[in-house]
Amino acid sequence: MSALRSTFSVEQLVARVLLAGGLLGIALVLLGLGLYAAHGGFHHHVLLLNRPPAGNPPGVFVSVRQVLDGLRRRPIEPLAVSALGLVLLMVTPVVAVAAAVPAFWWMGDRRYTIIAAVVLAMLVLSATLAGSVH
Amino acid sequence: MSITVFSIAVLATSIGAGAVGAILGLGGGILLIPILTVFYGVDLHYAMGASIVSVIATSSGAAASYLRTGLSNLRLGLFLVIATITGALVGALLAGVVPVRVLELILGLALSYSAFTTVKQLRDELPESLPDHPLALRFDLGGSYHDLRLQREVAYRAQRVVHGFAAMFGAGLLSGMLGIGSGAFKVLAMDYLMRLPMKVSTATSNFMIGLTAAASASIYWSRGDIHTLIAAPVAIGVLVGAYLGTTLMARMRNTTVRKLFLPIVVYLALSMIVRGLGLHLP
Repeated sequence: MSALRSTFSVEQLVARVLLAGGLLGIALVLLGLGLYAAHGGFHHHVLLLNRPPAGNPPGVFVSVRQVLDGLRRRPIEPLAVSALGLVLLMVTPVVAVAAAVPAFWWMGDRRYTIIAAVVLAMLVLSATLAGSVH
Repeated sequence: MSITVFSIAVLATSIGAGAVGAILGLGGGILLIPILTVFYGVDLHYAMGASIVSVIATSSGAAASYLRTGLSNLRLGLFLVIATITGALVGALLAGVVPVRVLELILGLALSYSAFTTVKQLRDELPESLPDHPLALRFDLGGSYHDLRLQREVAYRAQRVVHGFAAMFGAGLLSGMLGIGSGAFKVLAMDYLMRLPMKVSTATSNFMIGLTAAASASIYWSRGDIHTLIAAPVAIGVLVGAYLGTTLMARMRNTTVRKLFLPIVVYLALSMIVRGLGLHLP
């Protein structure tokens, strides 16, 4: 166990989580765009660059439920796959901090276990507060 | 503009923004938002939504690499981000209470002073060694990295920890009140106040900006500001750019990074003063 601890590094773990989250997120974004192209989306649709006065255009999801609905639909909604990738990308830093908490504890660094836990709690709190504003 | 042409153009722009963001510790919003709105005609809300995705993608891509090479200091980043997020929460509560223009003017003047000090430090490759700060020892706010340019191990420890922590709180406060990213302020606080090597400052800022952006991403998402067809090419391009940026930055001198950073500080200082004075430039 102590030999494992001597080679383990919280930095490497956090780096791996960030890399894995980033790559998986981008893979889903690419997969969604690929499906969108295969369905002729790039040819058939016109991209609206201005926000409409009411409602949201295709490609804008405002909740995870909407994304999941798009994934359940048959045929699958390609942009929901990309949106899932974007969601994964956006939660990756939070997941990285969540992974750091037990990692610091396992390394016996109580001070940074607490600091990482406080950062995690603040991230969740501010995300919840921000999300509840709208 | 067809979706295909738009996507390719945004992808190429985002590669550049990701590379610059990764080198300078910024989210890329300072570059992306004006380009998306002015050159591509994207709605400001969608541009801001794409920018928040860009910040997180730059941060994840760059920090993953910088944490492995020791340029980004995880403990320092976690310690300081407590001040930044607290500041952002307080700032969001104070928004609308404190006059924004006065704040912008104060911020512009503070940045002008920072630009002046950055000019004075332009030739300093590494900060002079000073006695260890007790809080830096207590919270283990130091480390070392192998500098590929200098071909040696560089050890460092944070100075003026209280000043740095207060500056990070201020950076968060301004972020919360003005709705601006604060990557540049984080870099300045670490470089100038805490006397950390410039490369450590920008690399650690890269890790921190991802956390603060993730905290506010849900507001953009629930508001409908994140358009998949705009944010997707941005995310892909920025991640590729961040990879290129980290490879480049590892081989740069600290003085080179500081020289590249200076125009950003000058631009931010001027734009804040102009906004604070209520001037409208064409």
